[in-house]
Amino acid sequence: MKESHLTLKIFALIILNDLVDTLAQLLMKKGLIHTGISSVTFANILEFASRNASSLLLWMGVMIQILNFFIWIVILYKVDLSIAMPVGSTCYIFIPLAALIFLHENVGLLRWMGILLIILGIHFVSQSRSPKGDRPAQLRGKRPAEGAA
Amino acid sequence: MIKIVLIVLLAEIFTAIGQILLKKSANAADSYNLRRLDSHARFLADIFANPALWGGFLAMGIGLVVWIIALAQGDLSIVFPLGSLQYILILFGAHFFLGEKIDRMKVAGTFLVVFGIILITIS
Repeated sequence: MKESHLTLKIFALIILNDLVDTLAQLLMKKGLIHTGISSVTFANILEFASRNASSLLLWMGVMIQILNFFIWIVILYKVDLSIAMPVGSTCYIFIPLAALIFLHENVGLLRWMGILLIILGIHFVSQSRSPKGDRPAQLRGKRPAEGAA
Repeated sequence: MIKIVLIVLLAEIFTAIGQILLKKSANAADSYNLRRLDSHARFLADIFANPALWGGFLAMGIGLVVWIIALAQGDLSIVFPLGSLQYILILFGAHFFLGEKIDRMKVAGTFLVVFGIILITIS
């Protein structure tokens, strides 16, 4: 049930978490674009807030983020934080791709290289086979070496 | 420049503390078989009764406010790449405060992810 290394099921759950996050980010960005205030200063911050408070798209994004928390806490229940965190960086891949497709933003060479590095990094983390952490490091006694008779 | 680095670092520290507390509350939950809907409900009731979860929410809330201050004050092409430091803080935080084992693969993978995020956000 609880795993120390990345299983396919947990990986799928983390991808789902990031896809939902991407959807929420897109909705919020769409909502903010729709509001039409491009630069926020101290002078217009109240107008900015009040206009966005009535943005349905923005609120949908916020609600979806709250729902997404429940996926994240189940992920944390199942796998080490030091695994879930780097693997959860796939939203840095999905968001530029979604921005390219749905918001027609540019994705330059540097970003493609960054996406490649993230994929490589996630692959490395998925190869980690260290035993599951359970208790704080300072409380843990010495354990017999694996395979010792 | 040094000021914005410190503000981002402060935001990252609060967010990392938040994630570690969230993980603590998940670790403290009883063993549940999350294939069943009713055990999901009991799992959620379990973690929401844990002060660590609320401490985590508080820390992440403070982190978000400090992060917004950083966004408002600093050049985004500095603030966003610096934000990737969080992955390194959480890697070592998970080791020291949650007792998670880290090996070469995790360290190498996390640093690759951080470099990737820097490349994506620097432009």
